[in-house]
Amino acid sequence: MSTAITKKVERPPFWRDLRVLRVLIQVLSLAVIGAILYVLWFNLTTNMRAIGIRADFDFLTQPVGVSVTGSDIGAGSAVWRALLVGVQNTFALVVVGIPLLTIIGVLVGVARLSSNWLVSKAATIYVETLRNIPPLLIILFAFFVGVLPLPDILEPARILDLAIITNRFIAVTGFSAAEGFEIFGWIMLVALVAAIFVWRWRTRVFVQTGEPHHRVLWSTGLLLSVAVIAYLALQGPFELSKPVLAGRALSGGFSGLGGYFAMLVALVLYTASHVAEIVRGSILAVPRGQSEAANALALSGFQRLRYVVLPQSLRIAIPPTINQYLNFVKNTSLGIAVGYAEVTLIAFQAIGNGRPAPQMILLLMGAYLVFSLTISAVVNVLNRRLQLVGRT
Amino acid sequence: MKRIKLLALISALILVMTACTTAGDGDETTTTAADGGGEDNGNGDTGGATLAEVESRGTLNCGVNDAVPGFGFRDPDGNFSGFDVDFCKALAVAVLGDAEAVNYVALNAQQRFTALQSGEVDVLIRNTTWTASRDGGEAATFATTTFYDGQGMMVRADSGFASIEDMADTTVCSLTGTTTEQNVTDRFGSIPFELLTFDDNEVLQESFVAGQCDGWTSDKSQLAGVRTNFPDSEGGPDALTVLDETFSKEPLGPVTRDGDTQWSQIVDWVVIALIQAEEFGIESGNVDSFDSSEDVNIRRLLGLEIEDDDGNTVVFDPGIGIDPGWPSAMITAVGNYGEIYERNVGPATPLGLERGPNSLWTDGGLLYAPPYR
Repeated sequence: MSTAITKKVERPPFWRDLRVLRVLIQVLSLAVIGAILYVLWFNLTTNMRAIGIRADFDFLTQPVGVSVTGSDIGAGSAVWRALLVGVQNTFALVVVGIPLLTIIGVLVGVARLSSNWLVSKAATIYVETLRNIPPLLIILFAFFVGVLPLPDILEPARILDLAIITNRFIAVTGFSAAEGFEIFGWIMLVALVAAIFVWRWRTRVFVQTGEPHHRVLWSTGLLLSVAVIAYLALQGPFELSKPVLAGRALSGGFSGLGGYFAMLVALVLYTASHVAEIVRGSILAVPRGQSEAANALALSGFQRLRYVVLPQSLRIAIPPTINQYLNFVKNTSLGIAVGYAEVTLIAFQAIGNGRPAPQMILLLMGAYLVFSLTISAVVNVLNRRLQLVGRT
Repeated sequence: MKRIKLLALISALILVMTACTTAGDGDETTTTAADGGGEDNGNGDTGGATLAEVESRGTLNCGVNDAVPGFGFRDPDGNFSGFDVDFCKALAVAVLGDAEAVNYVALNAQQRFTALQSGEVDVLIRNTTWTASRDGGEAATFATTTFYDGQGMMVRADSGFASIEDMADTTVCSLTGTTTEQNVTDRFGSIPFELLTFDDNEVLQESFVAGQCDGWTSDKSQLAGVRTNFPDSEGGPDALTVLDETFSKEPLGPVTRDGDTQWSQIVDWVVIALIQAEEFGIESGNVDSFDSSEDVNIRRLLGLEIEDDDGNTVVFDPGIGIDPGWPSAMITAVGNYGEIYERNVGPATPLGLERGPNSLWTDGGLLYAPPYR
């Protein structure tokens, strides 16, 4: 009897010791993954050597040899510079597209739950149509129906000299830098930092004393007054730049190519339909008691949404929305279908002109990975902040 | 619970061991993947592997275009036809004795070399230009040129453009991933222009019709095809002009993978034999009439018996790896070079391309077949 007890206290042999086994399994899994990666890499390099393709990245400094629309990339530019232009073009879609699709997605998501029959049915039709069509078709549709029928470049549509619309590009009035623009930029950066401090100060005052904070007024007031003073002091660091079309040559203003707008409209509408569903689901996930309590406090419909329901549903909505942002980024690679020179198109151009495909595809995968990880990181920071606010 | 852990441990161990052995055997297994089961003779040449594989498979995997009328085109029923497609057939007759033993693989411009490198196709006959960086960077071996083409510019007839110099600030459209992009960039040089590229000929055409592009640049043979098929609602072929200037050399021909010299030579000699046949006047309809030919060169090409010095009869075999006499079967099945040309792209076809540089050297063209002896 007593021997049995002592036996139980004894440590088991190492192959049955859970603590050892746990570590061992971790190490072994790591070894398996490492081995698989090694085999894949070995296979790739051996095969490339066998058919005589170079496996290095020296080609990146070679001239790319092709002109790229909407950029100064020409015959003499290096491959890496052309790729960088592609990354910029992809970024131009992402940076405009994500805020737009978020706004549209939230509006449509809320509209689907509206008690107004027409609004909610319209939102439902929008979501159900776009969500169920492949993005490539939407892009081609936007290109054929939205962009190509725009006026020919020789008979462009003009809006009061402020904008020029053709099926090649849409140009609007913008700004161009004049003398002292750089200094102006630095001043505004300092003002922005100051505005953030003012914002936090007003918030603290509000929390401590209960005085109205007016933080938006304070911060924007500061920014605007600094901007006006700096503009006058520097005697106009930037000036209006109207788009001018001479024959077929466009100068001045801000312009985007037809393919860009087709991509932007199509992908924003497509992704927003997914975001709308997420928003709807997460609003429904907020306990009913919350809205009822808001009603009991006699909050208006807008107030109920703005101060009670949306803040809580936001926390539920953010993680799945990140996925939609990432889908947006990945879908920009469809730009090749409508001739928008994003990074995939430029990589394929280079491959078609004798640059090695395996390395180019690796670079391409790397570029999308960086895009996706950056977006995830940014949104995750936001997510964490919201979670904390929720618990206090 | 513990049993499960142990099982997991054992399976993990087995996985590691298999992974290690695969890595160890890498030299053999991986090259097999690359050259399709051939023996590596030590200097990277897998002599005969492709031929053996094609013979054992019984069909030839031929990478072609499916959207260029006259060269490689797939009709609505899924049948392939065209100049390049006929060379696939000729090769299939030479190697397998059957013009229909071809599995056509439709490839776009960007896919083609990857498909060739990975062994998805045995040969690429898809209006592909022979360039140094493709020879070097894409591990491709180019056979004798089948079509001497050159890049041109197509504009609307009413646009008033008569030369590239008139086209400052214009937008020019082309296909993504082709040599045309580089040529047109070089040709414009310091003349400002925008190059808009599309993945797909149909989208390019829509864009051109809508006026997004002022010019459409491609190989002249392809432009001729596009012009012929230009929709009547947009004015038909007469609404378009191809500028006279040819601003690049585009020798188009079959491509094989580096590393299998024997297979590359077979493809090479298939083209040469077709050209030689035209030079000798051997056509699909009259091959038999050469049975009694006195010309020893013709007898060699057609695999007819030749009397040697000792009075024995022999059949000439150049030793490229396929049975002598393949040219006669090939010419019977698909005709000589001239017939293939006239049938698909010649003046009597909708494309209406004159022979021009694609005439025999005896007619002042560039087609010059090395002797078959």
